Amino acid sequence: MPLDLLALLPAELRAAIERLPALLLETLEEIRIREGRPLEIGFGGRFAFVRADGTVSDDPRAAYRPDRETCRALLERVTNHSLYAVEEELRRGFVTVAGGHRIGLAGRTVLEGGAVRHLRDVASFNVRIARARTGCAAELLPNLLDREARTVRHALIVSAPQQGKTTMLRDLARAISAGDWHHPAAADWGGRKVGIVDERSEIAACERGVPTFDLGPRSDVLDACPKAEGLMMLVRSMSPEVVVVDEIGRPEDAYALTEALHAGVRVLATAHAIDLDDVFARPVLAQLAQEGMFSAYVLLSRSNGRVQHRIYSAEEAAELRGRKAGRRTWAGPRDAPSPPPAPTVAQPDEPAGTRWSIKPRQLPPIRSPDAEAKEESGRA
Amino acid sequence: MLKLIGAALVLFAGTMIGFVQAARFAERPRQIRQLLHALQRMETEIGYGQTPLPEALARIAQVLPPPLAGLFAGTAASLRSGGETVQACWEKTFRAGWSATAMRAAERDAMLRLGGTLGASGREDQLKHLRLAMHQLQAEESAAREDQQRYEKLSRSLGVLAAALVVILMM
Repeated sequence: MPLDLLALLPAELRAAIERLPALLLETLEEIRIREGRPLEIGFGGRFAFVRADGTVSDDPRAAYRPDRETCRALLERVTNHSLYAVEEELRRGFVTVAGGHRIGLAGRTVLEGGAVRHLRDVASFNVRIARARTGCAAELLPNLLDREARTVRHALIVSAPQQGKTTMLRDLARAISAGDWHHPAAADWGGRKVGIVDERSEIAACERGVPTFDLGPRSDVLDACPKAEGLMMLVRSMSPEVVVVDEIGRPEDAYALTEALHAGVRVLATAHAIDLDDVFARPVLAQLAQEGMFSAYVLLSRSNGRVQHRIYSAEEAAELRGRKAGRRTWAGPRDAPSPPPAPTVAQPDEPAGTRWSIKPRQLPPIRSPDAEAKEESGRA
Repeated sequence: MLKLIGAALVLFAGTMIGFVQAARFAERPRQIRQLLHALQRMETEIGYGQTPLPEALARIAQVLPPPLAGLFAGTAASLRSGGETVQACWEKTFRAGWSATAMRAAERDAMLRLGGTLGASGREDQLKHLRLAMHQLQAEESAAREDQQRYEKLSRSLGVLAAALVVILMM
């Protein structure tokens, strides 16, 4: 549990969190604060409710319930007492505080012309704790090398939320910019210039433009910049050799990525998806995959607190995709396998002859309006 | 001899009281004006720069003269050192530090009302609240100028004359 985050919590809440067992504090991933409802924490893939004295249990009834004042103070403090400065973030539903921790917010939205203009009465907070795990990319990076070009391959890192995508991406960026390739053949390659578009300030956690996480000596960070625009800006201004972006998925992202690719820049990106099927089910990602944008897909999954990865090459992905496309033509429900369809019973009273069919019919000749005008003028 | 020294002291004290009072009358409109400038600065910090409030307050404190600078610097410091809400920090500092200024309760109430909304809403709303506070202060400023014209010289001479009266009665 980082100290800077702890200092951000209002006194009552801090007291409860501070008294948590040390072992638990170390694996803490999420703190979920809901006004008037039990305080919940997520750690090591599990969750529990917290009592005011710092003990945890599965029973929500005895848990500490933060009141309105505490929540108001928390909102003020995570926005640095300046809601006016984070309007854009509120519209997107989260703020990022010093240290790169993301705080998701939910409350009542204020609409204007159907679009969300503001978030008020914020009553739910999800504090996600960011941790730098230096060296966590050591196993993955050697498999992503492009030996001929002496750099890294275009790669898309895919996983469900909370499996360590951003952490992995951050360490990849650090390793590439430091020349920490973890491969004997790449020992003399040196570092590469890395450009990072950090739309949510999560990768670098910049404070006044300076990254607080270690990103190696050759990284440039464009903080809080929209990905599509940021990619183009970086390519124009900082001449990166590798660009790193988090959570792509919008059509303009795809366009910018393609542009970057053709500008001779290697791309490392992440996307939310459970597996590769999901990647191909998302229109933007499917299009990128079809164009052969990525030459490697990395699937992250976490079990027993260890992040594991599996790498698919572009060919494997294409093959997988072809197989799936042949088997499933439309999307079925995602939550449970649907029951087998009931056998269709042919209607007995329907004579076979009455089925409609399409006959070719001669179409009337089409005249262009110009010809008509000419005819008319000729007649006149 | 002793009587003479006493009379001189009374006269001196009375004159001083009158002068201090007159200085307060002269100081009040000037401080209100400085406060208006501070709010104008805050308007740009919030509206254009979107500077976080603690930093904006600290910057404003740097350009203000002493008694007012303390108010803004104090609020910024207590926000940075883990104050819970802007309203609480603002109110505490302004209530404690107000007696050091020459301003009255009306200006203080306008500032406290502003403190209750500062930082707690979107940009447009913040600017509106700032303008409202500025209007109130402007009204107070013109009242303060009238008071100054009317009472500044009066209180100065009143101090001397009252002291003289006491001396005459004592003699």
